Amino acid sequence: MISRRRFLVLVGASAAMAMLPLQISAKSIGSEAKNEAKRRWAMVADIEKCTECMRELIKKTGNEEVKPPCVVACDRENNVPEFEEKEIDPQWMRIVKFKNKFGEEFYVPLLCNHCENPPCAQVCLTQATFKRSDGIVEVDMHRCIGCRYCMIACPYGSRSYNFKDPREGLREVNPKVPMRTKGVVEKCTFCVHRVDEAIANGREPEPACVEACRKYGKNSLVFGNVNDPNSGISRILKESIVIQLRPELGTDPHVYYLPKR
Amino acid sequence: MPENLEPKKIEFKKIDGSSFGYFALVAILALLTAAGIAAYALDRMYHLSGLSNRVPWGVVNAGIPYFIGLSAGSLIVSALAGVFKIKRFKVFSRIAAFFAAAYIVAAISSIVFDIGKLYHFANAIVYFNPTSIFSWNAFFYSSYFVICALYLLAQFEEMERLTRFFACLAVFWAVLVHSGTGAIYSFMYSRELYHSALTPPMFIVCAITSGLGLLIATLYFTFKFTKRDLEIRLLRELGLIFAGLTAVLGYMLAVEGLEKGYIPAVAPATKFVYLNPYHGIFWSFWLLVIFGIIIPFLIVVYPRTGFDPRFLSLAGILHAAMVMAERFFLIVPGQVYPSEYLPGYEIESLHTLEGYIVSYTPTIFEWLQVIGLLSGAFLAFVVAAKLLPIIPEKAVVVEE
Repeated sequence: MISRRRFLVLVGASAAMAMLPLQISAKSIGSEAKNEAKRRWAMVADIEKCTECMRELIKKTGNEEVKPPCVVACDRENNVPEFEEKEIDPQWMRIVKFKNKFGEEFYVPLLCNHCENPPCAQVCLTQATFKRSDGIVEVDMHRCIGCRYCMIACPYGSRSYNFKDPREGLREVNPKVPMRTKGVVEKCTFCVHRVDEAIANGREPEPACVEACRKYGKNSLVFGNVNDPNSGISRILKESIVIQLRPELGTDPHVYYLPKR
Repeated sequence: MPENLEPKKIEFKKIDGSSFGYFALVAILALLTAAGIAAYALDRMYHLSGLSNRVPWGVVNAGIPYFIGLSAGSLIVSALAGVFKIKRFKVFSRIAAFFAAAYIVAAISSIVFDIGKLYHFANAIVYFNPTSIFSWNAFFYSSYFVICALYLLAQFEEMERLTRFFACLAVFWAVLVHSGTGAIYSFMYSRELYHSALTPPMFIVCAITSGLGLLIATLYFTFKFTKRDLEIRLLRELGLIFAGLTAVLGYMLAVEGLEKGYIPAVAPATKFVYLNPYHGIFWSFWLLVIFGIIIPFLIVVYPRTGFDPRFLSLAGILHAAMVMAERFFLIVPGQVYPSEYLPGYEIESLHTLEGYIVSYTPTIFEWLQVIGLLSGAFLAFVVAAKLLPIIPEKAVVVEE
């Protein structure tokens, strides 16, 4: 038979044990896992500058769907084909107009967000989509079976499927970027070939869109290593409030947007 | 259950298969299957489907959960005899188990038809991804087929205990396979209209109803065609299970729709899906509710039609056909309705169709692929009935 004293001790001990994990978990909330690699690539787009650029271009050309220099450079650099039918036309980088109910309108570029927790890599049947240690999310087209599950999983609509052979929609080919085939999924790679080449040669990498933006004189897009506290992008992220798309999903996208001031 | 309902000894017998009707049936089914394969080949070559970068999954993809559902449902009926020891259903156990195996082949063929790079398919095994639900399912589907085949084999050999073991294993596996298939879609947190914890259990219910529905019709026509006796009471009992679960399916659909409509963030999308008659999605849902759930349910419970095997078959076929609409309804709306990238802002893409409600109309080439696969499963059954003893000589209840 259990004595009263023993019973009380047991009750007290179990109550204390029940409290313990609560306190530990309360402390641990908020400590986010950080990518500890030497490099973690990311991009910032300045909404004000992008909107200004797009307004000028639309006014100049009269074309509501004009492609700005960044998109043109991306298409050319990465052999992104151009097809008449918008439904099946692959587009790695594209411009969208955001508008709210108060009539505010602005233009931003959309591209693969190179998420810290990429849903596309999570669902990929064959690990064809994978995240490199430097954060770049890539598709291995030799492994891709073309099931398009990643397109369903991607919260940012960043992926395109090759319904047609991309070569049919290309006028010129950049030999530095591998040509994809029909029946696989493709998307922005942060110009991984340029990144690797620059690192090998000890230079600062610059994707094609960022280069085009700089040469056009807008300097809206900034690319860099967020794990280097002295990089340009780290300074921007430290000093300003930035927007991520759909942050509530926990994907931690690494394309940031500087809001209008 | 009263003892006198149990049949004495079941004799399974091959059919003759020498009549003109038999060969005509084989020819028609073979033709439809061939048409499906041809449609697949043409679609691969010239992109003849209605798919796009906004709607990358269409009816051929819907064929995967559809056939898995028919398979799981058929298997659970077959196992009624083995698992729950309801001996009078043993007469159906071979037919149902055969269809379970045939439908799973059709489901795997749907994946084969749907993927873009068939000759990379082995990568799904070589580079298995443990975080991918689809990756797990590829394993489940193939193992499930093996279990179904062994279960059928144990029945042919009349090995009682082994049959029972495989029946239990197969039911467990059917639930696993089907929940997994539901999770392929419903775990997609990036699409509000996909994301629901209710989908996997709903898949199980839907599997049993569609599998059972088609089985009732198949049994009726098989016994009629082979001129063998079929006791109406057995069919009626299957019909009652069918009607009950159809009501459960309707209940689950109602809960899901109401919950989604209650969330202000998802309400506009829900309203578009359920209440906008200018889009095919609306029709896929309401046709399912009316012709797939309400009418079949009423047919079974109404005494004048509920005891008539022709009407029971009609109810089963109606429901099984409309479950295809349910799969469409599950897969398409979440893709057609645009996602909100930045809260409070509408999107208009300049270079893609992001931000717009896009349309998806399945083409005849996509439908032919699904019909071809279904015909393929029935073709296998018709041929197997001649080669293997799967149809009982008579399915009657012995009164003493």
